[in-house]
Amino acid sequence: MMPILSMIVLIPLIFAALALLTKTKEQARVIALAGTVIVLLLTVYMYFNFDSTIADNQFEELAQWVPSLGITYHLGVDGIAMPLILLNAIVLPLLVLFTWNDDRKSPNKFYACILATEGAVIGVFAALDFFLFYIFWELTLIPLFFMVSIWGGPNKHKAAIKFFIYTHVASLVMLLGIFGLYFAAWDMTGTPTLDIPTLISQFQFIESGIAKDMIFLALLFGFIVKIPSFPFHSWLPDAYTEAPTAGSVLFVMLKIGGYGLFKVMLPMLPFTASPNLMITIMAALGSVSVLYGAFLALSQKDMKRMVAYSSVSHMGYVTLGAAGLISLSVSGAMFQQFSHGLIMSIMFMSCGVINNTTGTRIMNDLGGLAQKMPKLAVIMVLTFMASLGLPGLTGFIAEVSVLAGSFVNLPSYVIIAVLAIVITAAYHLWALQRAMFGVYNEKLGTVTDINTFQTFSMGVIAILILYFGLHPNPVFDMMMTNSEHIVSLMAAMGV
Amino acid sequence: MAVENLAFLIPVLPALAFVLTFFLGKKLPTGGAIIPIAAIATSFIISLLITLNLLANPEEVVSQSYSWFAILNVGILVDPLAAVMLTMVTFVSLLIHIYSTGYMSHDKAPSRYFAETALFTASMLGLILSDNILQLFICWELVGVCSYLLIGFWFEKPSAATAAKKAFLTTRIGDVMFLTGIIVLFSDLFKIFNGNVPDGVYILRFDEIFAHIPDLAAINANIFGMEVSHITLITLLFFGGAVGKSGQFPLHVWLPDAMEGPTTVSALIHAATMVTAGVYLVARTFPMFIAAPDSLMVVAYVGAFTAIFAGTMGIVMNDLKRVLAYSTVSQLGYMMLGLGVGAAVGSEAVGIALFHLINHAFFKALLFLCAGSVIHAVGTHDMRQLGGVAKVMPITAITMIIASLALTGIGIPGTSIGTSGFFSKDAIIENAYLFGETTGTWLPYIFSIAAALLTSIYIFRLIFMTFYGKPRTDYGGHESPASMTIPLSILALCALVFGGLTTKTFNTFVSETFVNNFVNMDISSLATLGGYHLAEHAGEEPMLILWLPLIMALAGLVITFLIYGLKIVNMDKLVSRNNPIYKLLYNRYYQNSIFTNFISVKVIYEGFAFAGRAVDRGFDWIVKWFSDFTLEAGESLRQFQTGAVQNYATAVITGVSLLVILIKVVMEVL
Repeated sequence: MMPILSMIVLIPLIFAALALLTKTKEQARVIALAGTVIVLLLTVYMYFNFDSTIADNQFEELAQWVPSLGITYHLGVDGIAMPLILLNAIVLPLLVLFTWNDDRKSPNKFYACILATEGAVIGVFAALDFFLFYIFWELTLIPLFFMVSIWGGPNKHKAAIKFFIYTHVASLVMLLGIFGLYFAAWDMTGTPTLDIPTLISQFQFIESGIAKDMIFLALLFGFIVKIPSFPFHSWLPDAYTEAPTAGSVLFVMLKIGGYGLFKVMLPMLPFTASPNLMITIMAALGSVSVLYGAFLALSQKDMKRMVAYSSVSHMGYVTLGAAGLISLSVSGAMFQQFSHGLIMSIMFMSCGVINNTTGTRIMNDLGGLAQKMPKLAVIMVLTFMASLGLPGLTGFIAEVSVLAGSFVNLPSYVIIAVLAIVITAAYHLWALQRAMFGVYNEKLGTVTDINTFQTFSMGVIAILILYFGLHPNPVFDMMMTNSEHIVSLMAAMGV
Repeated sequence: MAVENLAFLIPVLPALAFVLTFFLGKKLPTGGAIIPIAAIATSFIISLLITLNLLANPEEVVSQSYSWFAILNVGILVDPLAAVMLTMVTFVSLLIHIYSTGYMSHDKAPSRYFAETALFTASMLGLILSDNILQLFICWELVGVCSYLLIGFWFEKPSAATAAKKAFLTTRIGDVMFLTGIIVLFSDLFKIFNGNVPDGVYILRFDEIFAHIPDLAAINANIFGMEVSHITLITLLFFGGAVGKSGQFPLHVWLPDAMEGPTTVSALIHAATMVTAGVYLVARTFPMFIAAPDSLMVVAYVGAFTAIFAGTMGIVMNDLKRVLAYSTVSQLGYMMLGLGVGAAVGSEAVGIALFHLINHAFFKALLFLCAGSVIHAVGTHDMRQLGGVAKVMPITAITMIIASLALTGIGIPGTSIGTSGFFSKDAIIENAYLFGETTGTWLPYIFSIAAALLTSIYIFRLIFMTFYGKPRTDYGGHESPASMTIPLSILALCALVFGGLTTKTFNTFVSETFVNNFVNMDISSLATLGGYHLAEHAGEEPMLILWLPLIMALAGLVITFLIYGLKIVNMDKLVSRNNPIYKLLYNRYYQNSIFTNFISVKVIYEGFAFAGRAVDRGFDWIVKWFSDFTLEAGESLRQFQTGAVQNYATAVITGVSLLVILIKVVMEVL
């Protein structure tokens, strides 16, 4: 059997190197498209051969690497990782098409960054060894750092450094947690291993309760900064806003924080010394993020910054749903990651298009764009509706699953999140009203609607938002299988 | 093939029409209006056939369920309650679509209009035949978004964009309550099943919910020190949703502004596809309300208050459509009252409320379409500029007068002679009287009878100001084309005779919904569960009670005739424009200042959102302080700070190694 996972991870990295060698925009974008399309085809093949009825890792590849330290080359996907790999594989080729006609400096490096991010992010989802996991985890930082600092907006350097340092510090804390787990397990069993499933299963046998909680919190910190969750979100608005459109979309694809929550945190949660405390922390951070992000989004004048804060708000559902510990809420949280990736891609693309054609993203300076950009208007209205949780679109499936599921165990936190629903609707509609509707602002000069490539890529994502909103099963079923598995572990422990 | 199997087509056909019209409409004449018209006509025929079949065989309820995702399902349920709603909505929507081909003929984007109205209709139909509460909510939201799109149809007009947003956000407040109710219900049922819901059992299906009403009533919540049973909590939250959607006080504020869209959209919203959804929700979940008498009491009070409150504003408005908008709010109040009195009369309340809903749909659609016809011809909706329109537009004038008679409920008590509104509105008022007798609370009855007078005043004021006398300005005008007058005539016929023809059968047919098919407990034992007993029918009410609504209606007619017809009484002398009560009413109780300017702008936007910004800058500052502190601490290591990422990486690896050693030590200690 061919090592399909290795190919999915390595092909983008190889193509990134190839893209660096190209001289022109035309060559670079073809390389990028080829690389991302190959990944898409392989992923689709993998998806159709994936058994969504079992919670185990599939397509596993295992090879010894540094036996003395217990480092292995171990890859595999389960129902948590599969949808996220699929998300990346679908959006990235569309992102390349979206940027097809753009002119910018060093297109070779630009497309290399896109490809490298794809490889690194999928690498995180596929890694079943903490060593690999951490390498890929840190690898995602580098192309994104360059993305912001080379092609970003006016404050790009500050934003890039802030993003880099902030999330890097968090990664280090996470690394401490990994080492803590690694050494504790090594002490107990006498054999070193960095294998993720093995270490997670050995976590419960650690004797010291303080050690268990420290390990758990260190890992949790690493993940929730990446999600990001209130109050560790302040890197996000700057990074998302200053990044070029493609960079913002790549940030959105970076679902590794939430992934860690489901893959690593939840299976360990029942075995910590104080599981209820951990649940409370997660639920509080999640629900406050939802409400806080919504208020902050409401107060923004720059459309892209508003979208960035709305991202904080939406990702709060991920943390909250994970803490809900009912299979419906956990699956809903996983689905929120998937849904959010699709929706935010279009949101950022829309901001990018508007900025390019009008020269501003300040919503009060816009106005009446729908008359001049009808295609963009249709796609934007649909996406904004998805983002504010309109039924029939993906956002609703996620939100209702999280809210209904979490209410069983966490009623008061759900009420906090529910309060945000009206605010969420308000900032979305107000943004549409100011930017797209009303009298056309003649000061904007002539604006042009989205081109064919942009229409295609945004249109395809919009159709997917509708499709998965009506029929979430193709990804929801496998999420459900895995969350039922996780929840059954909890039930066995009486959490 | 039995017609029941086609039930799913009722919402699907208009939904398909939306897609087709959206993409192909531009290439077809009149914006592709023929597509939604054909689709809705077919839906109407199917609905009618199912209704007739149900009328003959009440037990042949259509019920089909399919798994959706997780433990949720999609399905359709057509029982008598749903069937009459489906038939009415398809019928009224069909007429409005036909009318729109004339009305929207000069618009620049008719295909978008017809696509959106088709989706609007589809959503409402989907809402009606949902067999579970979540699907109902989904369609409920789609109805909301369609109204947003249609109220803001002329989005280049800032006032339209604002009104659309206001409608969506105000109803969304209700929607959140509704959703919260569903969440509480879901979690209760989930716990009742101990988390193990068997395959094939969909816990949010209505029959499943109703079967667990006793369990829900047994769960108590402590809210601000009050013991509230969960069934009360859930029904109140559901009613919160209905308050938003059906324009009940205090969430009615969006409805009068919602006329920024085309008048035909107002007709759809006010008659068929939107505001009736809230009434339908309460009717649909009526067994739950019956087990929660406190909730029913709230429904009755809110409904009665809304009826009179909106009426007071209706009598001072000068805008043709705005008067009608307040009329809708008021009439919806009657419907809610009709349901609320179920605490006294049981499931009969559903039949009567629905009866009024259907009758209202006919005459209110007619009123709006007539208003549209006038506006289309004369180009204004300020009644002060009109007058004498009857001479130019006789068909419009006659049909509108018929609608007004139906609205005021002119008819002879004790007989089957009367306009549609007479049969349903009087029944509600009589039930309110019975409710007063049973529970000892008379306020709903008093409100409802006073609102009947106000109704008559505002609508005949409208008629006299618009159609009677001499033109006050030179507006020109002409009678509307046949595509508009034919729907008017059909609706006028319905407004005139539907009530009288069906009054005997309608109530029993609809009330049977909950007697035969759903609830394994009968209504009176559900009432017992709620801790009270339904009233025994004590026979005839006193003569005065039967005649009072008619007297009120005629009194209103006389008063307005004296003021606006014969002009014997000069209103300007009687009530000065500076009269505080007049100003209060004319400024609509300053609701705009309170809700929009104060709560939304001052409290939410300038208060919370800006406070949030300050807090966020605080977090940023902490992070910055932290990093500055670290950098200062590392001042001595400055020579290593070359700014290159690889150097930082080296430092990182060194640091990590040190940390590893540290952890090793810590682990040993622990």
